[in-house]
Amino acid sequence: MQREEKQLEVTLQAILNRVNDLKTAIQALIAKLENEYETINWPTFLDNYAILSGHLTGLSKILQAEMAPSLRALVVLPLQLGCERDEALSRLTEGRVPACTHDLVPDLLRTKPEPQAEQRLQQFNHKASTLSYDTAQKQVTQFTKVVSHVWEIISKGREDWEGDSMRAAGMQPTHTMTDTHALVTAVGTGKGLRPGMPALPPGVGAPGLGAPRGPAPQLGPAAPAMPKAPSAIKTNIKAANQIHPYQR
Amino acid sequence: MGVTVLQQYPVPENKTGTYVIELLTKRLLALGATQQGQFLVDCESFLSHPQMGATKTVHILHNSEQPASVFSILESGTKNIHVVADGLFDLFMMKLAQHYTSKKQTKIESKGPRFELGDFCVKLGSVMMNQTFKGILIEVEYRPCVMANAVWSLLREFLQGLLGASVPVSPPQHLLSRMHEIYTPVDTVHQYLEHFGQYRKVTGLRNA
Amino acid sequence: MSAANAAPITATDSLSQALKANIIPNQEYLLQGSVLDSAVEVLLHRLRGLCDNVDAGPETFDDQEVCFSLRDPNQQSAPLMLRVRKALDARDMPYQLRYIGQPDLGDKTRPTVVRSSLDIACNGMLIEFLNELGCRIEFEYSVKGYMFRKGRMKITVAKVFKISQSSAMPPEPISQSYLVELSVLAPQGQDAIAEDMRAFADQLRPLVQLDKIDYKRLGHMAVT
Repeated sequence: MQREEKQLEVTLQAILNRVNDLKTAIQALIAKLENEYETINWPTFLDNYAILSGHLTGLSKILQAEMAPSLRALVVLPLQLGCERDEALSRLTEGRVPACTHDLVPDLLRTKPEPQAEQRLQQFNHKASTLSYDTAQKQVTQFTKVVSHVWEIISKGREDWEGDSMRAAGMQPTHTMTDTHALVTAVGTGKGLRPGMPALPPGVGAPGLGAPRGPAPQLGPAAPAMPKAPSAIKTNIKAANQIHPYQR
Repeated sequence: MGVTVLQQYPVPENKTGTYVIELLTKRLLALGATQQGQFLVDCESFLSHPQMGATKTVHILHNSEQPASVFSILESGTKNIHVVADGLFDLFMMKLAQHYTSKKQTKIESKGPRFELGDFCVKLGSVMMNQTFKGILIEVEYRPCVMANAVWSLLREFLQGLLGASVPVSPPQHLLSRMHEIYTPVDTVHQYLEHFGQYRKVTGLRNA
Repeated sequence: MSAANAAPITATDSLSQALKANIIPNQEYLLQGSVLDSAVEVLLHRLRGLCDNVDAGPETFDDQEVCFSLRDPNQQSAPLMLRVRKALDARDMPYQLRYIGQPDLGDKTRPTVVRSSLDIACNGMLIEFLNELGCRIEFEYSVKGYMFRKGRMKITVAKVFKISQSSAMPPEPISQSYLVELSVLAPQGQDAIAEDMRAFADQLRPLVQLDKIDYKRLGHMAVT
């Protein structure tokens, strides 16, 4: 029995910690909104939301985990309700709940949806289960059609937006593939760096002006042209030898 | 690092190289020198591929005094161009194997004991090419000074005292034009190359 | 003979020992990308946060690189590419002679480009030496920028300039972007470092996209 109690305590402590984390995060966000509303930028704001959602996930993980069942078996029974201000309760909740009133308790201790909501949900469920297969299918295709249409509009709009207005709005792209390729090729093969060649556009006019320095070293096809040169020299020598005896 | 002079020492007709080294060692020890290890200077020469036009020679030298350096001297016509690099230059020469081939049979080295005597450092080297004894090279360094012209007379006096009056001592060819410049390790290497070149031409000598 | 007086080991022997032990860093792992001039400040800021040399601030460099080629006398393989780098802002520093092999991009699973590389520090008349050796100047450029370190990784963010023929003209930048390179020199077979590089490159996204880039393929595309 004692062991179970201990475990319960640990679980409660863990939940409490998470809730407190969540609370401070919310407080920080509120404080930011109140004090820095003029300077705060969108990314920081989103970062704060990310923190909140992180804490929420943590909390729900604990609640779902196997630590929680023992908690589920426990019952909270409000013994006394009253309109009198309860100082101890007020302090505990940091002034949020001044008294254990009839008005607040049902909401605070609720574990199921409101009866009205529950009833409507049941109605819907019933309606869904009695729907014929064909009608359902029809509706689904219709829905998909609408969604994909909206998706198209949005993605087209995004493309335009990224292309033009992002630049204007100050959210410029930070790199371009063209520049990367231009730089890497320049450093790697000297494209646009060879003497006598215009830097921009690189490559234009290269054959004429770049020739004295030789073709690009990495371009393999340059090599096969070479073996011809020595053979030409050889023929010249031969020709000279043939001429020689003639003169004698 | 100071100024270094390299001097060939003739080996008498009926004596061996070992004998001469021992003789000079005794003299040095008598002067109060102490032996501080051994030294080694080696040289390998690479010839350019015949297809590349006029033959060029790259000499790669190592000196145990500068163990992290590779000295490379390119001989092309009248010019000698040197580059001092780190140890990976040897790997670089391997990359050039297609273009420059090593003349293994002319691999030459000078090694022997190394002595310190006050401000002087003396090295008695036996020159070997392909396990063949070629002669004796004596290196004397005066360490506190880096200007050759300021220290030449002192070095000559020291050499004369050590080697005896019978050995003619003259300033090394390489130093003549560099008497007024700051002496660097590559100057020593140039001197070794000069002497190695001479030894390579000499054929056949007595055994060590 | 005492141990202290033992004959020194020859340079060839110590080199072959080093080769056998595989301690010579002869492989370069490389990722490349670029960043627009307008965003370079943001990138530098981020790198300062990520890299080791934070307190000293980023190291600047201003180098000139000359690229040489040496033709194979047998005409059997592609010419040898050699690069010489000289620091313009520290003139008494040695030259850097680099041999860079063919880049190997591997398949999709390989995180970085791998190419064989030899980095040699050189003093003396290196340019003249290479000229006499039979090398031809192919092109030259200057690079000016910042260098960062993160463990064994080196990150450079630099502007590439075309060197103008007349010295009166200032060097002109060849693009509106900075070249960003992430590289590591390591002995053969240390592929684990490539994964680290990938992880690091991912931290720079979407500011910079560092990738394996095959400049040879790009060059061909532009030519044909």
